[in-house]
Amino acid sequence: MDLLEYQAKELFRDAGIPVPAYQRIDRPADLKSLTIPYPIAIKSQVYMGGRGRLGGVRMASNTIDAIAAAHTIFNLPIMGELPKVLLAEAKFEIDQELYLAVVLNRSIRRPVLLGSAQGGIDVQTAIAQMQQVVVDQEFSPFYARRLVLKMGLSGDLLNAVTDVIERMYRLFLNKDLDLVEINPLAVNTAGEVMALDGKVSANDAALGRHPALAALDMRSGQGATLKESRPPGAAWLPDVLSTVDPDGQIGVLANGAGLTMATMDLVCQAGGKPLNCLNIGGETRSDALPEDLCERLEQGLELLSRNKQIKVILVNIVSGTLPCSRVTQAIAKFLQRPVSIVRSVNSPHDEVRLSRVKPFPSLVVRLVGVQLQEAELSLAKTPAIFVEDLDQAITQTLSLVRKREP
Amino acid sequence: MNFTATNTVIIQGITEPLGACYAPLMQAYGTTVVAGISSGNGGRSLAGIPVFDMVEQALSSVGAIDTSVIFSPPYAALDAALEAIAAGVRTIILVSQGVPPLDMVHLIRKAEATETLIVGPNSPGIIVPHQLLLGIHPPELYKPGSVGILSRNGTLTYEVAWSLSQAGIGQSIAVSIGDDAIVGSTLPQWLQMLDEDDQTDAIVLVGEIGGDSEELAAHYIAEAIDKPVIAYIAGRSAPRGRRMGHAGAIIESQATDFGPDIGTAESKITALKRAGVPVAERPSEIPEIVRKLLKHPLKKVS
Repeated sequence: MDLLEYQAKELFRDAGIPVPAYQRIDRPADLKSLTIPYPIAIKSQVYMGGRGRLGGVRMASNTIDAIAAAHTIFNLPIMGELPKVLLAEAKFEIDQELYLAVVLNRSIRRPVLLGSAQGGIDVQTAIAQMQQVVVDQEFSPFYARRLVLKMGLSGDLLNAVTDVIERMYRLFLNKDLDLVEINPLAVNTAGEVMALDGKVSANDAALGRHPALAALDMRSGQGATLKESRPPGAAWLPDVLSTVDPDGQIGVLANGAGLTMATMDLVCQAGGKPLNCLNIGGETRSDALPEDLCERLEQGLELLSRNKQIKVILVNIVSGTLPCSRVTQAIAKFLQRPVSIVRSVNSPHDEVRLSRVKPFPSLVVRLVGVQLQEAELSLAKTPAIFVEDLDQAITQTLSLVRKREP
Repeated sequence: MNFTATNTVIIQGITEPLGACYAPLMQAYGTTVVAGISSGNGGRSLAGIPVFDMVEQALSSVGAIDTSVIFSPPYAALDAALEAIAAGVRTIILVSQGVPPLDMVHLIRKAEATETLIVGPNSPGIIVPHQLLLGIHPPELYKPGSVGILSRNGTLTYEVAWSLSQAGIGQSIAVSIGDDAIVGSTLPQWLQMLDEDDQTDAIVLVGEIGGDSEELAAHYIAEAIDKPVIAYIAGRSAPRGRRMGHAGAIIESQATDFGPDIGTAESKITALKRAGVPVAERPSEIPEIVRKLLKHPLKKVS
């Protein structure tokens, strides 16, 4: 989860990293009750990068200018994203700009300290001079000193920047972050350092033990009711399906990320176009049981069949402990659900009998696991098509799409 | 590599839903499950498996422990693993997904210092067909033989095992190192172990997009692996992920030698082919390629 700049600065301030005096601005009128002295910088608070070049940062030296600037920035999309909040910040005289970061490197499986003596808006220049130090054992400030020396700093600045990196690292560790970045860390002629801009990414898997961080998520909030209405075993399925091919007519549903991708690849290799691919896996969740897959399967089919563009849903389930006959029971249960309450208004007594005898998307079901014959039998009474071989399931799916083309 | 039915195994988190479900299955498959660990449940038993509050208590009661399979909830996994290491356990399988990466960094430092092998997290573990189940692989899809399967995923691994079994090609072992960003053991580590394993004649590497594990594996195969390796990579058609526009992400990809395309299917397939590894287009091609490489006579499906 990415944080906005003002949220990152709050963490910096709490960690003892020097940040300019700042104030969160929710509407231009907030600038009338500004508590920081002019001149100020007014900065768009967006997740996308590049706001400086796009006019998302403006200077103002009085209230009138500041309110005008705020109006402009509130209405200026940065790469398509409009800010909900602005940041007003005291100006700091810059003599030198440094780049600093702590990032988790998944390849070497260690945190890495990054530093460049050429920080600022031109990232490429920063990169050209980037130094790095791998924190291979438990952190101690000497790792930070090692980096600062490699950056070519000396004297009082060496100690000041080391102190900032040490605090960044503690923050990284204490809050389970994927990234802490300060760019620039400004240095003035007096040798004082100040974090003028920063980026923090929190690790999604660890958010559960950092409720204060999780509460900073400005992008979620939708779909909460949808999740609550789900059975517990299906609570974590996505609310919105991501689109693979906007012209696609196939929905792919499989269990496990690798298997879902492999199934999607096969569809594409055969010339098919998947609209959505949904992974309903989750067999390594400590709190889940194998039969929870059934709930996720029903919910997943519901999600995919909501999109009328999907003509065929390909279900590919490689079942571990759960017998295939349980999987097909869930499919049969989904197919027998009432189509919708709206349809039953004219004849309410028929509601239960209105089943998905002809579901809008055709269903191709391919399963691997035990009790395969029972599974095939139980699907024989439904419109779903059972295929044992994966390559044949792909062929079947594509031929159904062609048949259903107008 | 010593994964046989004589291995003594404990199950930490045996009272978690997943642990309670798989402990009896592991035992039924022939795995020597000597104890379960669940604090607050000491003195009870589950499917005939005695439960202890701590690993060290089990140690004094059941003797030396080779392996721990951990089903503890993700935020308790690090503690469980450290507890096992403190009790002298040197092989640890982490099944649960969602272990915070910095917990893994902590655990990996400890594992390196104590020469402990960590598999996972977010992994179905290890299966040696007809010998040993350390995790949640579905045994029905495997049959004994001489092909080692090495992967990062769960159900796709089973798919590949099933297609091999159906073609009459058995497996010496299947191990998934796990699908989280930071995992305890690496593909090169396991390639080396399988290369040295007498039961394994060929290795099937089942990879997927993301990270640089397969690229590193390709380099390692070219340098150090003598046995034939066959690969399959899932995610060729996946839409390109959003690139983070900050220097940290850019420098992270530039820090390795693989260029900006690192993590894509093309990058992995190119690296593997350059290392002389045949890459199957689809899972069903794998048995054919394995058979050619082993010059195996066609075996009938039993």
